[in-house]
Amino acid sequence: MAHTAFSRSKSNRLKFIIGGGLFVMAVVLMVISATKATAEFFMTVRELGAGDQDLVGQNLRVSGAVVGDSITYDSEADQLQFMIAHIPGDEREIKAAGGLSWVLHQAVNNINNPRLNIVYQGAPPDMLRDEAQAILTGTLNTDGVFLAEELLLKCPTKYEEALPDQVEK
Amino acid sequence: MIATLGYLTLALAFLLAVYGLMAVVMGFFQKSPAWTESARLALLLIFPLITASVITLAILLAIQRFDVAYVYSVTSLEMPLYLRLTALWGGQSGSLLFWSWLMSGFSLFFAVRKWRDDADLLPWALVVVFFTLVFFLMLNVFMETPFNRFWHLPDGARVIAVLGPRGAWPLIPQDGQGLNPLLRHPGMIWHPPTLYLGFVGFIIPFALAVGSLASDRRDRRWIEIARPWTLVAWVFLSLGLVLGMRWAYDILGWGGYWGWDPVEIAALLPWLSSTALIHTTLLQRRRAGFMRWNLVMVFLTFILVIFGTFLTRSGVLSSVHAFAGSDIGEPLFIFTAILTLGSLGLLVYRWGDFASGYEPQFGFTKEVLTLLLNLVLLSILMVCFLGVIYPIISELLTDTQVTVGPAWYKRITGPLFITLIFLVGVCPLAAWTVTNLAKLRKRLLVLLPISFTVPLIAWGLGDVQHGVVLLALWLVGLSLVVMSAEIIREGIRAQRNSSWNLLSIVWKTLQRNHRRYGGVLVHVGIILMSVGIIGIEGLQQETQATLSIGESVKIRNYTFRFDGIDHFDAGDGRFVTEAVLAVLQEDSPVGALYPQREVYQNMGLAVTQPGLKSNLAVDLYAVLIDWRPITQDEATFRIFLNPLVTWLWVGTGVLTVGTIVALLPGSTQNRREQE
Repeated sequence: MAHTAFSRSKSNRLKFIIGGGLFVMAVVLMVISATKATAEFFMTVRELGAGDQDLVGQNLRVSGAVVGDSITYDSEADQLQFMIAHIPGDEREIKAAGGLSWVLHQAVNNINNPRLNIVYQGAPPDMLRDEAQAILTGTLNTDGVFLAEELLLKCPTKYEEALPDQVEK
Repeated sequence: MIATLGYLTLALAFLLAVYGLMAVVMGFFQKSPAWTESARLALLLIFPLITASVITLAILLAIQRFDVAYVYSVTSLEMPLYLRLTALWGGQSGSLLFWSWLMSGFSLFFAVRKWRDDADLLPWALVVVFFTLVFFLMLNVFMETPFNRFWHLPDGARVIAVLGPRGAWPLIPQDGQGLNPLLRHPGMIWHPPTLYLGFVGFIIPFALAVGSLASDRRDRRWIEIARPWTLVAWVFLSLGLVLGMRWAYDILGWGGYWGWDPVEIAALLPWLSSTALIHTTLLQRRRAGFMRWNLVMVFLTFILVIFGTFLTRSGVLSSVHAFAGSDIGEPLFIFTAILTLGSLGLLVYRWGDFASGYEPQFGFTKEVLTLLLNLVLLSILMVCFLGVIYPIISELLTDTQVTVGPAWYKRITGPLFITLIFLVGVCPLAAWTVTNLAKLRKRLLVLLPISFTVPLIAWGLGDVQHGVVLLALWLVGLSLVVMSAEIIREGIRAQRNSSWNLLSIVWKTLQRNHRRYGGVLVHVGIILMSVGIIGIEGLQQETQATLSIGESVKIRNYTFRFDGIDHFDAGDGRFVTEAVLAVLQEDSPVGALYPQREVYQNMGLAVTQPGLKSNLAVDLYAVLIDWRPITQDEATFRIFLNPLVTWLWVGTGVLTVGTIVALLPGSTQNRREQE
């Protein structure tokens, strides 16, 4: 009696383990396949400008400073073009170099800084302007132009200033 | 002067919290209940003190005291009063104060409740509450205080401090910077407070669970006491999440409601674990099983709440929700680590003692389905967590940062969410421990064919072709059919035993078992919400067009005609451009859309306000993207057809009502007698 009860409880537990195991395996497989299909490599403008042909066609993500003079929008074709200038990829490096707004300002005004041409199918977002930080996802074509699929913008400007500029007049 | 007063009450609250923590600990050493009682009284005072600070800050915001750094940074002259008041939680330090205030409000529960037989839970619960309060008030008082002011120094320098140094005089800016335009929206009134109430409310179950584990009380008492508060926290968290979706839908103008932003995910994580918790506590109430599992889930939930605060407030993430970089990241990280290690340590220490010895049998039963539900919810949780930390791990391992986006999340969690709909649908068919399979077969023979009508209608009338969408809609149909059948069956049974008055039957049934029917309503709400989500995720259609006045564009059977464009000054710092799009359905006019672009002139920032017209079947959603100078009268629009999305909001309402029904007092006495 005791033996059958024991083996029944054992086979019961086995069912849970097999069922749960199969489920977890399915989830893991989905994670692997989704990662292969959609994960993006974060690169800097300088790394992308190095001309590495292996990068062509990969899902990429790049961050840089928007060069205001370069923004053009063709509303007939609904196509946006602009350039971004290299900024460091690491938050700490940016902080050490004097904070985001200073780094963005420097990046745009330094002629020797590598730049990257961006083409984006769509309208210019509200915050696209000179010295904004753009975070783009997309792919690189063989001419070294970045075809952006997604466009995120960040303006550090006013919100980070601790002290007011204008004083009681 | 007022600012100093607010700071003073805040500092007093902090000191009281420190005292309370020490008093409880003294109570342990001296085994004296007097210390615990003293701590309880201290807790009673903390809430009014922080309330005073919050009121002070609200007054400062209302009367526009720009010499206060916080008021300067989040308000400006042009903002209306209601927005100035919501700015209370519009910036880092104010929202942190607001958070501490809500936390102290919930912790009043421990000071006010009559503990009688449960007095052994109290001291340890108080340790948790005071420790948490000490931590957050410390951040408020020493690192992120909203009561700092600007001062001129005699040598010409300027400083920020609560009190001016000797010889300093206040610096009073004429106007403030103003709240980020994206936050200037009625959504700002409801979304943050609701979400915070949800987050903070979990302190009650968490503290009670710690109390139960630490005092070695191996019964389900903590679950009974915590139950209403777990549900309250859960429903506020659900509402907070959905209000955020609605806000994003209304203002961000990308036609969506959820962007898989890491901060959104950070709020979703505790929702997933608390949903799992609510279901497994039902198992413990019935079977005395899963004791340890419930403890793990409640610990996980609270840790995720604090982890979410860390993600949002530390500046490690950049997103629409994140506060600008700040120094409180490290302390928050340390606090999260202490909570995690402390909970783990306590669990390991008591692990053997809290074994329940109960083993569920494998089969088609509510028990097994609940376990599966846990597995699905935790899988979604793990996947989301992995997605958030993926950039960090990949950089550590490969030196290249790899990030994952919405496409990644959708691919993996989509099937898991569909599994959830399936579980909601089939669970009422299963018995708790042993299901009668013959009966089940008979019921399925009736219910299955009816459930197929839903995808068939969608295919026939709605022209839905997508296989996954049809599958999801079928599961929705199955859930609704099964739940209706359940209600009708019980209604008939109740009718046999009583009069024919339908209303009185509904009332009596609800009264007799309001917990259960509240639960049924919550699930109906979840299913309706999933209808909305299936609609916008699976059936959204969009087009973009540049139109001259009089020209039109068509999606399905809707025609959108560009009728005109207007530019005006809204008088509150906004310069608005508004287009008029007439909408025709099969050539007969049904209304108009008014998409806007608002430019905040002082800030040089623009905000897109979509034009929206919704009914239960479809939302028409138009965004004004660009326009040529007035002479050419040409504008570019992006237009979305979002089918069924209204059900997301309707379902949320049903879910809320259901939770309220489940929370109604009464009939617990009967239940206890029955058991």
